[in-house]
Amino acid sequence: MINLDKKPKAGYAARRRLFIAGFLLPTFILFCVFTVYPLLRGLYLSFFDWSGGSETMNFIGFGNYKDLMNDDIIPTAIKNDYFLVFWKVILIMLLATFFAVSLTRLKLREYGFYRVIFFFPNIISVAVIGVLWSFIYNPHLGFLNSFLSLFTRKPVETNWLGDSHLAMWSLLPPSVWAGIGFYMLLIIASILGIPSSLYEAAGIDGAGQWKQFTKITLPLIWEQFKTSIIHIVITTLNGSFIIVKLMTDGGPDNQTQVLGYYLYQMGFKQFHLSYGATIGVLILILSIITTLILQRLLRRDTIEM
Amino acid sequence: MNKAASQKPAGLWVSKTVVRVLLLLWTLIVLYPVFWTFVTSLKNNQQVMLGKPWDFPSVFHFENYANVWSRAHFGSYFMNSILVTAGSTILSLALASMTAYILARFSFKGRGLMYFIYVASMMIPTTLGLIPLFFLLSDMHLSNSLLGLTLVYSVGTIGILPLGIFFLVGFYKTLPRELEEAATIDGSSFSGTFLRIMLPLSSPGMVTVGIMNALTVWNEYIMATVLINDPMKYTIPVGIAVMQGEMQYRTEWGPLFAGLSISMIPVIVMYVIYQRQITGGLTAGALKG
Amino acid sequence: MNNNLRKKATGGMALMLVLMSLAGCGSGSKETTTQPTQETPTTKTETDQPKEETKDAPAAEPKVSGDFEIQYFVGGYGDAWWKEMLGEFQKKYPDVKIKESAGSQINEQMKPRWIQGNPPDLVYIDGAGSNETQMVKDDQLMDITDWVKQAKNVDGEALTDPLIAPPQDYGGKNYTIPLVFGSWGTFYDESLFKEKGWDVPKDWDSFLAVSDKIKAAGINPYIHTGKYPYYIVGGLLNSGFVSENGDNPQILKDQEANKEGSFKNDAVAKTLQKLVDMRDKGFFDNASFGITHTDSQMLFLQHKDAMIPNGLWLENEMKKDMPQGFKFGFIPSVMQNPGGKYIAIPYTSNIAIAKKAKNPEAAKAFVEFIFTKKAAVRWAELTGALMNVKADLESSGASDVVKTAMKYFNGSDTIVAPVFKLNADLEQAENDATIALLQKTITPEEWMDRMEKTAAKSR
Repeated sequence: MINLDKKPKAGYAARRRLFIAGFLLPTFILFCVFTVYPLLRGLYLSFFDWSGGSETMNFIGFGNYKDLMNDDIIPTAIKNDYFLVFWKVILIMLLATFFAVSLTRLKLREYGFYRVIFFFPNIISVAVIGVLWSFIYNPHLGFLNSFLSLFTRKPVETNWLGDSHLAMWSLLPPSVWAGIGFYMLLIIASILGIPSSLYEAAGIDGAGQWKQFTKITLPLIWEQFKTSIIHIVITTLNGSFIIVKLMTDGGPDNQTQVLGYYLYQMGFKQFHLSYGATIGVLILILSIITTLILQRLLRRDTIEM
Repeated sequence: MNKAASQKPAGLWVSKTVVRVLLLLWTLIVLYPVFWTFVTSLKNNQQVMLGKPWDFPSVFHFENYANVWSRAHFGSYFMNSILVTAGSTILSLALASMTAYILARFSFKGRGLMYFIYVASMMIPTTLGLIPLFFLLSDMHLSNSLLGLTLVYSVGTIGILPLGIFFLVGFYKTLPRELEEAATIDGSSFSGTFLRIMLPLSSPGMVTVGIMNALTVWNEYIMATVLINDPMKYTIPVGIAVMQGEMQYRTEWGPLFAGLSISMIPVIVMYVIYQRQITGGLTAGALKG
Repeated sequence: MNNNLRKKATGGMALMLVLMSLAGCGSGSKETTTQPTQETPTTKTETDQPKEETKDAPAAEPKVSGDFEIQYFVGGYGDAWWKEMLGEFQKKYPDVKIKESAGSQINEQMKPRWIQGNPPDLVYIDGAGSNETQMVKDDQLMDITDWVKQAKNVDGEALTDPLIAPPQDYGGKNYTIPLVFGSWGTFYDESLFKEKGWDVPKDWDSFLAVSDKIKAAGINPYIHTGKYPYYIVGGLLNSGFVSENGDNPQILKDQEANKEGSFKNDAVAKTLQKLVDMRDKGFFDNASFGITHTDSQMLFLQHKDAMIPNGLWLENEMKKDMPQGFKFGFIPSVMQNPGGKYIAIPYTSNIAIAKKAKNPEAAKAFVEFIFTKKAAVRWAELTGALMNVKADLESSGASDVVKTAMKYFNGSDTIVAPVFKLNADLEQAENDATIALLQKTITPEEWMDRMEKTAAKSR
């Protein structure tokens, strides 16, 4: 902490306090009104039985939480959420790191070109991506089956989004497709921050690319790596709702149900708004627990440069 | 690296080639769906129904664009999306940088708690706050208004404010303190130091956070659907979702894809023009973050 | 009655009484004190011209004025009819300021306004995210029991007289009036059937027989709309339930009322078994799952599938994509055992006045304005579907399918089930369970248990 209090001057402490308050309070007040209040309101709602349409609400204590325990769809939704979290983290981090390392360490001339192309899906609206990919998957009209049919004797008629075993897997490619560029850029940034002398020294010692990656790159970008993973986890738990809504509506038979969409379905389509709020509380708790566990798991001594 | 390269040039050449093939493959995977959107947007239903998605349309149906342009108000969707995105990105950045500076540099009672509250709030599901926010806005006479939506985006449950704070606190901590101390000794006021010294120094971090947040807002869909119901005030994601909804009652693939294309074209143009600032900004800021 | 109305009502009362006496008031019924102004439009029209449509209203007369907001969902029927009716309504009452809240997402968009107690005046309840049973439960709709009994349309007929389906009964009260009437059923590719010499199924056995033939010819017999499984429920299952229940449609009303055992009984079990038979014989197009109904309808039009469960809106919805020579055939049901009657499962879409309407008199005037034979003919012409008013459609532009369906309804071989609507939870559960059954992830037994569990929860 910087010690700016050193200068003894009349009214200094008061000015300092005023400055702190003036800088913190407007933000904090707005934040309380637009974030904390809605959250508390959501928590409050979860203790009522309210369809979301009537003017009266019945207080039912922990009734919604009890229902949550007995709801068969909740475990499926949690499983699917973590399915997405797991595979998105693995696939995005793997590909993004691979691309980032290739682009920076191999000193390719096309670096600028790929950087721009790979980031491109990130600027397309998720709504567009959802609609576009549902058509890519369309069994008769989409180009995926038509592409696969080039390699088979019989035309492929796989029903990607309709098959209960495939549907969940089919949600992954659009999510990964849309996510890689952003994390690739973050990783590129950290790699560029590593002094090249380290690599030169390693090269003299005869360390190959792989060894350089594990011994130098990975430890030095670990902080960025960790932040990226946690960011993927939070945005997935919170945001997989949209891709599900646009592509499957949680179907077939809840096989692609995720908590975010289930909240929406219960609150807005099945008229149990307070139950939806309860699901929201569950998402919040799961996100916090997951992040804390991850923080612990990913803890690793960062190397000071 | 250079040494290693000169030691085994053949091995490096092979790995470079393999990598290049993979990079090209991913380029195709990224670009083809977009290209396909444009191709399909020029087909009519019969051509789509042929089930030959690879083929170019035999006749180009440019009228799909006219059709969808006249039905939807893409012009205003764009303006709205840009206004809301710019407004909330700037507002949240301003608020976040002030808070982050204090949290990074000043000690006071409750600092840790405040930081924790902000960080934890990143995990609040967006949808949880939806209904309360709706009531809040209508009490403030801000429902169905872009200003209201901008406020919700800036400081509401979609979480771009805490993300900014989280990121910028980290960024400020990496900045050297000497400059500030010098400025203080020179008699600069607190806010003067912040504005003249810290803000310029933190601009790479601000650009990174700004881009991350702008992307979030640009894509946001559920809040905009519920908080805005005047078609002239739709943002792009809402416009697209409404179009997809209408497709359930009218089979018009060509126009739908034309709509998708229209919504992408300006983004692509802007991206091509500003790609250096965008991708470069993200990499520069993240260096320190 | 809210305050707003009371103010307006007291203001308009004196003038209205004068008008009433001048007009000689043909309405015949007594005004109720709570609804002082709602008779005015009726009165006025009758003075103008009792039979024909009105063109212009003299400036001094209209009592219907102020802001009038209508919410209507725009789906398969389009919005042409609404625009036309609202346009004419505007001409008749130039003082009304009409606000249309319409579109395909309108239910979601308006939802917060209903919660807030700031609803539109009139609502047409249709499409995803709408459910009139829930709206009644949430006390959002105006009790129109008394009004609807004595209300007259602008032609001077009693409003309920020409209705095909009467206003639905909610414990002795009415809140809604059905505006659209139609029936689920199985549609078949008539030209293809003719060309190949296939027999149109009359019952379950002939359905299976012809499906075998179709499959042998390399065409998928049946496609459903996997992402929206309620088409299967409406077009296949519900008629099966009634048929297996000794043609007694009470089973559907019991399901609507969450009665214990209404989802787990012999009739349901036998019906589900039939669906399983279809599945195991491979009659369903594999493409069905995960695509929308429009996509599956397109495949049907391309002769890739011979039959599809759907509703009477289908022909209009697909009009511009019909290939040359395509003809829709319609059968109300296929699940009846040999010798059994056809079961027509009707659906309605309703119109209702908000309990908190700010301008209920305008809402009522508009209801009176649209429930006419003439409007019904226009509905048929503009949407190709049926409005819930008995009108002579033979000469109208209504689609052939609608006309065929009318013949079935009027024939003695068909039982028309009463209108019913499951609550949103049961609907969702039935959709999920039916898809799961078709994907072999659950058994009929599990289907029934799931439904009973959901019904028990709703009780």
